[in-house]
Amino acid sequence: MSIFSFFRSAPRASAVQAKERLQIVMAHERAGRTGPDYLPMLQQELLAVIAKYIDIDQNKVEVKLDRGGDCSTLELNIELPAREAAAKALKESAKLAVAGNRPQPAKDGDESDAVRMSAGGALTNGGVKKRR
Amino acid sequence: MGKIIVMTSGKGGVGKTTSSAAFATGLALRGFKTVVIDFDVGLRNLDLIMGCERRVVFDFINVINGEAKLSQALIKDKRIENLSILPTSQTRDKDALTREGVEKVLNELSKDFDYIVCDSPAGIERGALMALYFADHAVIVTNPEVSSVRDSDRILGVLASRSRRAEQGLEPVTQQLLLTRYDPERVERGEMLKVDDVLEILAIPLLGVIPESQAVLRASNVGMPVILDEASNAGQAYLDAVSRFLGEDVEHRFVTPQKKGLFSRLLRRSA
Repeated sequence: MSIFSFFRSAPRASAVQAKERLQIVMAHERAGRTGPDYLPMLQQELLAVIAKYIDIDQNKVEVKLDRGGDCSTLELNIELPAREAAAKALKESAKLAVAGNRPQPAKDGDESDAVRMSAGGALTNGGVKKRR
Repeated sequence: MGKIIVMTSGKGGVGKTTSSAAFATGLALRGFKTVVIDFDVGLRNLDLIMGCERRVVFDFINVINGEAKLSQALIKDKRIENLSILPTSQTRDKDALTREGVEKVLNELSKDFDYIVCDSPAGIERGALMALYFADHAVIVTNPEVSSVRDSDRILGVLASRSRRAEQGLEPVTQQLLLTRYDPERVERGEMLKVDDVLEILAIPLLGVIPESQAVLRASNVGMPVILDEASNAGQAYLDAVSRFLGEDVEHRFVTPQKKGLFSRLLRRSA
């Protein structure tokens, strides 16, 4: 073991982390400064659409936003009510990732995804991400 | 017509009042008729930093409300001939600042003074908005620290959208960065954001770097703007910043650690 490995294993300087964190958070804040704050609206409208077809409990909705360096994800987790037939409290969850400024909103894909139901009864369209 | 300068930051405690006092004093030292106004209604402190707290009779709010004449509220500095202070009210709140009232006072001041330095309160509410609204130049006071840098960016956004110049589609408010409480030794150890890091993030020109200095507290203790402590590095850094503001090309000092000899280490000289 050379003496240099001591230096190599040193933790990253905190100032470097400070700069990186600032660059990421401020890129988002600057982008969001001009446009209106559409997230609450988007959430409401999405829920309204889902509620039109499925009886959902508004309290069992979870919205998550994860802002990364070059990619952000908006995740909506909606717990679907257990079917009356299957009274064994089978929990179903719908996970929708919503894309924002995408060049072509792949409508067809989203629709087919929404209709598709997996064996567990979950609507899955994860991995749709917004890239800046 | 006097030029209006706002010292602003978003975040509190970064050195707006210290910088306003130093900057206004520096401009007056250079021969310009200068007035410095405290916009922090209810939390008056510029008077203490300038050392004129016992001479306050009328204030900015009294003038806005027509309860006193501007000439009655202005306090002439005892040290510097061209310098006046307009203190604010300690009892009212920020709602006392109306746009029309502030405009009237600033218009009147700009007839007599070359520079009007507005010491903004922290935040982005009424007091801060009024302080920056009429500005021609903005000095963004920032510490090399994440929350201060973020808030400064926020204030830059406010200047670009909610100042008079922005609203009326005039030439934008000039923006310059004053990086305060800079500690070159911590920067060298990788513990503090570098000047260049902050410049890269905020993307505005650098007016000056004020090193962390014990002289600042000493100066405020005695009610003297730190720029008058010409032996201190902070005082010198403010003098340089004022020169740069006036368009002079002055090299940045105090951005790298000063090499300490054995002698000064033994003496533990500070500031």
